Order: sequence, then C-alpha cells, then structure tokens
Amino acid sequence: MEQILHNRRAILLLVGPALLVYSSVVLLPVVWSLVYTFFEGNVIGGFHFVGLQNYRQLLSDAAFWQALTFTLKYAVTVTAGQILLGLLLALLYVFYLRRASALVRTLVFFPVVLPTVAVAQLFAKIFAIAPQYGLVNAGLALLHLDGWIQAWLGQGSTAFWVLALMDIWRAMGFYAVLLYAGLVEIPAELIEAARVDGASGLRLVWHVVLPLLLPILLSALIFSINGTLKVFDSVLALTGGGPGQATTPLTLYMFNTAFSYGQYGYGSTLAMALAVLSLLVTVMIFGSARRDVA
Amino acid sequence: MMRSDVAARSSRPAPAPGFTRVPRWPPRGQRSRQPRRRSHLRWLRRLPVRLLLVLLLVIEVYPLLWLLLSSLKEDAEFSLKPLWALPAGLYWQNYVEAWTTGNIGLYFLNSVLTVFPALALILVLSVPAGFALEVMRWRGRNFVLLLFLAGIMVPLQILLLPLFTIYFRLDLIDTRWALIVTYTGFGLPLTVFLMAGYFKAIPRELLEAAILDGAGLAQVFFRVAVPLVSNGLVTVALVQFFFLWNDLLFSLTFISSDQLRTIQTGLLNFTGQYGQVAWGPTFAAVSLAVFPTLLLYLLLNQRVIKGLTAGALKG
Amino acid sequence: MQTTDDLDLKALLNRRQFVRLAGGATLGLAALLSGCGGESGGGSSGSGSLAIHFLSVQQAGTGWPLVLQTITADYARSHPGVSFTVDYIAQTNLYQKVQLLAGQGALPLLYNSPPVDTLLQLQKNGQVLDLEATFRQLGVLDQLVPAAVTIIKQLFNNQLLALPFELNIEGFWYNKSIFTRYGLQPPQTWDELVRLAGQLQQHGLQPFAASGIQGWPLTRLIGNYLFRKYGPEALLRVKSGQAKLTDPGYVEAAQAVANLGKQGYFGKGVAELDYDPAEDLFLQGKAAIFYMGSWALRDFNNPARNKIGAEAIGYFPFPTVAGGSGSSDQAPMNAGQTTSVNQARYNSAAGDWLAYVARHYGDVALQKEGAVTGFVVHQQPASVPALTRLVLELISQVKQPVLWFEALFSTKATTLSQQNAAPLVTGAMSPQDFMAAIQQALDQG
Repeated sequence: MEQILHNRRAILLLVGPALLVYSSVVLLPVVWSLVYTFFEGNVIGGFHFVGLQNYRQLLSDAAFWQALTFTLKYAVTVTAGQILLGLLLALLYVFYLRRASALVRTLVFFPVVLPTVAVAQLFAKIFAIAPQYGLVNAGLALLHLDGWIQAWLGQGSTAFWVLALMDIWRAMGFYAVLLYAGLVEIPAELIEAARVDGASGLRLVWHVVLPLLLPILLSALIFSINGTLKVFDSVLALTGGGPGQATTPLTLYMFNTAFSYGQYGYGSTLAMALAVLSLLVTVMIFGSARRDVA
Repeated sequence: MMRSDVAARSSRPAPAPGFTRVPRWPPRGQRSRQPRRRSHLRWLRRLPVRLLLVLLLVIEVYPLLWLLLSSLKEDAEFSLKPLWALPAGLYWQNYVEAWTTGNIGLYFLNSVLTVFPALALILVLSVPAGFALEVMRWRGRNFVLLLFLAGIMVPLQILLLPLFTIYFRLDLIDTRWALIVTYTGFGLPLTVFLMAGYFKAIPRELLEAAILDGAGLAQVFFRVAVPLVSNGLVTVALVQFFFLWNDLLFSLTFISSDQLRTIQTGLLNFTGQYGQVAWGPTFAAVSLAVFPTLLLYLLLNQRVIKGLTAGALKG
Repeated sequence: MQTTDDLDLKALLNRRQFVRLAGGATLGLAALLSGCGGESGGGSSGSGSLAIHFLSVQQAGTGWPLVLQTITADYARSHPGVSFTVDYIAQTNLYQKVQLLAGQGALPLLYNSPPVDTLLQLQKNGQVLDLEATFRQLGVLDQLVPAAVTIIKQLFNNQLLALPFELNIEGFWYNKSIFTRYGLQPPQTWDELVRLAGQLQQHGLQPFAASGIQGWPLTRLIGNYLFRKYGPEALLRVKSGQAKLTDPGYVEAAQAVANLGKQGYFGKGVAELDYDPAEDLFLQGKAAIFYMGSWALRDFNNPARNKIGAEAIGYFPFPTVAGGSGSSDQAPMNAGQTTSVNQARYNSAAGDWLAYVARHYGDVALQKEGAVTGFVVHQQPASVPALTRLVLELISQVKQPVLWFEALFSTKATTLSQQNAAPLVTGAMSPQDFMAAIQQALDQG
C-alpha cells in the first residue's frame, strides 16, 4: 500500500500538468512583474533599472496611503458584513426555515449571478438624486426628512457605504449557502445534547454551533477578505473611484498607474504591495485560528 | 414605522384572523385558554422573523424584476421617469437591438466556447492534483499546496502585461485559446485547494481497503475516489463558472476582434464615446445573458448544496 | 479547504524553498525572453492588397468607421483587394490597449490617438506618421481645414500627428424659450453669467447642466476662464513652466467655477451625474444652460432625445473676464478624439488610400452623418439642419482657436483634474488643493 501511495511517477503525472499550467500562467507572470518593480518606464518608451526607487516612492506617495486606507476600510467592512449576514442567513435557513429553505436560499443567491454593470446601475439608480430622486431619496422625501436627502454617490463618505452595501448584498447569499452547508453537517445529536444541558438561543449558537463551524467560517473569511482586498469591478462600475479619489482602492490605482499613466514599474510595485497585504492578512487569520484551536 | 405597527398588533386582544382554529369543544376555564395564548404568542414571536423574511425576498427579487422591466423601456424613459416606474409600453425593440446590433447571440456563444472548455480543463487538471496533494504521500506536498494557495492572493490586474507579452509572442492574442489558458490558470489554485479538501473528507480506510483488495492506483482514483467527490465537482465547477462568466478584464485585454468577443465585453458595446449608454438595449442584453445562467443554477442547485455538504471546505 | 493541520506556515518562510522557486521561475522567464525575442509583428504587405485595421472607440457602422467604410467601399471598386476592418475598443480602455499593442509592435495602420505624452513616445518608436509631410507629398494638404491643422499642431507639439475626423466648437448652449419667458439675455461677461444663473435659480430652474462623473464639462469652464483672463497662451505658460497652476490668477479660475457650485447652480446631483443624464436635463428643459462641444448636435437634432426642440436651442460664446486679455472670438475648438496613422505599417498602397480618404472625407461625413470635420467640403448637401449650419458659420468666424484645460497636460494630471472636478464644485476640495494636485502631477513628469 505504501508503495502505491509513494509512487513518484504517478504523483508527477497527477500533479505535474496542473502545476505546469499554473506556473506558466500565474507564477511566471508574478515573478516577471516582481522584476518590473525595479524598473521605470513602460513598453512604449522602454524600461530602465532604478533599483529600489519605486519602493521609496511608495512610502512617500500620499495617493498610495489613501488607496491603502480605503482598501483596508472597505475590506474589513464588507468582509464583516458578508460573513455576518451570511451567517445569520445560514442560521435562519437551518433553525427557522428548515426544510422550506430551498426557495429562499436560491433567491438570496441570485445576485451572485448578475453582471456587475447591471448591479451597479441598479444601486446608482436607487441612491440617485438627479435627474430623478432614487428610491432612497424619494422615501426620505415621503417621510419629510428633507434634511437627509443628499447626493449619496456624490460624497466620499456616503459613496463608501453605498459601495459596501452593494457588495455585501451581492455576495451574502453565496456565503450563506457556504455556511449553511457547514451547519447542516453538524450532527443533530450534538445540538440536542446542548439543548438538554439548557443551552438555547444565542448561547447555543455562541458556545456550540460556532466552534463547530469554525473551519468553514475560516475558509469563508479567507475567501471573502481576499476578494474584498482585490475589489475592482464593482468600484469601477459604481463610482469609478470617485468622487475625486475617495473610493479608489489599490487595484484601481495600480491599474491606472500602469495602463493610463504608463508607469509600469510603479504599477507593479503597487501590485506587489497588495499581494503582500493579502498574504499577511491570510497568514494572520490562519495564525489566530491556530491559537484559538490550541 | 414597522415597529410601531407590530406594537399596535401585539396589544390587540383578539388573535389574528386565519390563525385561530375553531375549537372542537367550547373553551373550558384556564386549561384551554393557555395553549391558545401560547400559539398566539408564538405567532407574534415569529412575526418579526416573518417580516424580515418578506423584506429579504423583496430585496432579493425586486432587482431581477426591475432588470426585466427595464429591458422593456425606451431609452428616454430612463431619464424622464423614476426608476420604479413601469415601462410605458412593451418595447421589444430593445431585444431586437440587443440581438442584432448588440450581437448578443454571438457573444453568448463565444462565452460558452471559452468558459466551458476552461471549466473542463480546470477540472481535468485539478482533480488529479487534489488527489495527489491529499491522498498521495510525498515530500514537498505542503509546499506545493502553499504555492497554489498563494495564487488565490495574486491581484490579477498585474499579470496583464506579462501575459499579453507571452501570448503575443506565441501568437495567441485574439484567439479563444488566450482566454481558455488564462481562465484555466486562474481557476486552478482555488479548485485544487477545494478538491484537496474533498479528497480529505473521504474516509481513508475506504481507500486503504480498496488498495488492500488489490486495486491499482488508477482504479482507486477512477473507481473509488472520483465518484465520491462528484458532488463536489459540480459545486466547484459552478463557483468557477460564475467567476469566469463575469470576467471582463481578460477578455477586454486579449480579444480585439468583434467575432470573438464574450458577453461581458459585448455589454460595453452599448456605451458610447462620451459615456452615453443605451440603457434599454443594455438591460435587454443583460436579461438575455442572466436568465440562462439563472436557469443553470436552478437546475444544479440541489447538487451544489449536496456538494458543499459533502465535505468541501472542511479541515 | 485545508486549514490549520495541513498548512505548515513555516514552509512559507522557508528560505531555501523560496529561493528555489524564484530561481526556477526566473530561469523560465529568461528562456522565454531569449527564445522568443527578436522579430515582432511585421508591416503590411506590399502594393496590391491592403488590409486596413482601425483601432477605434467608435463601432463599425457608426461615426468615423461608417464614413471610412463608405469611402473604402468606393475606393475598392477601382482598387480590388482593399479591405477595411474596425477593431472596437471602449474609450476607457483605449490607452491600455494602445500601450499593449504598441509594446509588441502590433498597432494597426489607424488608431485613435492616445494622450500627447504617450503619442510622442510612440513617435520616437516610429509608430506615428507625420501627416503634414505625408499629405504634402501626396498632394492633399489642401484637403484639410486650416483651423483643424492649427488645433492638432497646438495639441501635438507643433506637429500634425493626427487626422481631424471631427471639428468641434464649444460653448454655452441655452434654452431660448426659457430666456424669452423670463426676459433674459445671453451674457457678455463672467459677472453677467453669474448674475444670470442667480436669476434662473430664483425662477426655480437649475441654471447649468453638467456631468461631474465625466469631470471635463466642469474643467472646461476653468480652462476657458483662464483663456479669457490670460489669452490663448494661458496654459502654454503652465506647460513651459513660466506660470504655475497654484499662482493666484490661476487659482482664481478654479475658485470662480467652485463658486458656481457653491451656489448650487449645477444642481444637487452634479457629482453623480453622467454625460447622458446631464444632457437630458438640458434637452428636457429642466436646466437652462449646457456647456458642450458641437458633437452634441447629433442629439440636439434627434427629436427622441431633444424634447425642447432644435429651434429652441441657442449658442453664446464663453463670456469675457473682467480685466482679462482674452476675447470671445477666441473659441475653444477641438478635433474630437483624433486618429493617428502608424508609420510602421504605412506604404505606398496605404498612401494612395489615405489620399483618396482625404479628398472625400469632408463630403461623405457631412452627407452621411451631418458631421462637421477638419476635411474640406466640396459639395454642400441640399439640406443641412439649422443647428449644423449655425455651427459651420460659428467655426468660420473663429479668429483663433484655443484648446481646453487639460489639452497639454500629462495623462496623470488630466485624470486628476477630471476626477477632482466634482469635489471642487461640491466644496469637498478647495480650489487651492485642486490646482496644487494637478500641478504636482505636472511637476512629476
């Protein structure tokens, strides 16, 4: 048996093709870009070596810090929203709707399927102030809360929340299904036993359900945070990074720097900063989980 | 507003209509009143959840309805009338335009011809890889797994220039292969990871028993392991499908001829040079693009849940 | 997904493995580069057959592609083997695409011009044709309208590096019915304009419609203010470093436009308004004045869009600024999104075709599209819409064309200017900060 599971030729045959494709499409370009971070210029004008200058520029670039701050704020907010609401929905499916949950699950999952452009347009219209009041402003007008009527997408502070709301709404159904799958797997006897011991409601969820759900919760968290740190499409479609640069994440800043401003080296440096950030966050989540388990 | 409504109802003495059953026997003293009050209370306790549920469904379903209705509006209606207004008439012209000028049929076909081969490749490559990483015994296993994990974190925008250069040198720009290869490469890390998880969930004794019975590796893989993860395959394929189907950046970068454009880039066709957008045809095109995918999801829904519960994503 | 058990975090920090990985990948990269380097996409074939590709932000069957298709179809009758294909790219992705293609020597014969800084780099690489020399050699330089030549040369470092498939004049379009109803007159000076806006607002009307998402409809006002204040050289002086955008006189222009916003003259939603809804505000009579280029005539002449009627639309030039040295016959003009020709793909067959296009573009565009271009018109069509006639007349009266605010800026400065326009008029950004941010981007390169 050991021989079969140690068969090197078989292992190479099994994992080799995937590793080869992955290396040439993802890893090689990453290293290639890493090399660019030591250069200045672009494909038209040519590149020249500048050593660590791009990294020094990074530290003193106000736009980078602004984009980084936005990215972190956005990632934390949206990930928290996606996971929390996803969890609440999953609990709702399991403990309240039980067998009848299939329809609700499916409906809540729908937004995942919609193209970003369409979703962004919908949210832009809901929060619009001109040329027509959108749903929100019309509702406020109806309640005579005229002081609250505002250009939701026209101010950095409110545009952030509209964006966050949109991305939470879009993805919560996905995380709900993911977590639901985990909840269903928890043996009913465990829950029953806890109930017999007098645990109920919040305490049951906190002390019994969540610890059992932790592995899946952790995966969901990593999915979500890696997605939100790299947010691009929805920002581009909803706010274009504006007003001003108020909602510009690192990805968009990097994309503009590399492809609009023709500073490919610096753009690559920004990307590396983002990749390192993603890695750090993931490692941190793994690390803290490990401590919890230990 | 909603809360005061609930409060008003809770102070109402009589049970809400439709929820009282005609008692078989006339109520007798306290014994019979108690269960009645309890069911009444239970109904009230559930009311907030019910309202929440209704709200949830409205929030989820309304956008789809809006999308459909918008696809039947004339362009002028978008700026002249509020967003929730019903279409003035059924303007089917939008669909005609989406299909002819917008060429949405062709783009749909192109999306299918790039996304599905990529999906197939992803599965064909990642199932054995996941098997090797989880079931087989070898040094460097953890490292390779970590390599794949790193791929999940790479921001894809940064790879555009290197990939464009590679594909150009290989004469792959403006071919479906450029997209298929890229999609495959990008789909691999997550899929390999998930597949490894599925294989881990298979009880080891099952595989060992098969080996002790004299099965070769190929038999163990094809006859025992793969059938056990088939639900997982569907799930992974679906997750990847949505990701690839919505890709805009790669197809925008690697494809320039109209004949090969995919559906997401096709949607940009309705945007003009100065930022004007023909919303009617755009929404018609979106509807044409979305509803088949919805149908697919509905068909696969049960298997997906099964796949997820089959032990995916578990440590 | 695998979690704590299987992922050894130490492996992440294992230096030997990392070095092995990096080394391996670098070798692969080197092999790839050396293996495939060298030759790049060749030029087009010799005379006879000619396959013309056009990287365009307008789609086949519309705008310039339609005009070129029509002309090429004519041309192909006497020159079989000539084909014309449009490679459409969305405007927002044009620069990216041009960069990627240019990096591989794969730009087609015709492509929409990227911003000045990029185009000049392309020129160094031999991917931009000097059209003045070429047209002179082909004997068709007289087919270009002099004003169009002036504009393009102003834009591209005094060289004719692009074709003027459009020729636009910009200014304020106003709703004549509204002006008549309240007895208002088109303003002559900036102060009158501000007063006029106040009166319109008192009558419950939104004075100006402008798109803050696009940004440029707002920064156009800043640029024009500067041209009126300092004359046509206002922004050349910034480019040459004689003046800074942070100088008090330049900040004054941003302040003037910010003040309009502060009074609410652009309406509450200016920051989230896109091009179309802004234009609709004007064309549906909800806003009285609309600053725009004459390309908007396509919509003005379209009854489905224009609910106030083409006859209700009037034009007044950008007003003068008190004590300024500019005058209102210096009109902001442009050649729209211009198109450049790739020198690397140019040959005698392409030259014959280009000469033929030059001789016919003005006529075909006016007949087919009602479009005013930088090419000479030989035959006036029988019926020209009144507004189009007005534009032709206005253009003929221009003493000196001026460009726009960002025309001479780097791409980054342009982007910042247009992105920050909305915060400027909503008061989220001060005029000083607005100008300082752009100046900083200019200083960088």
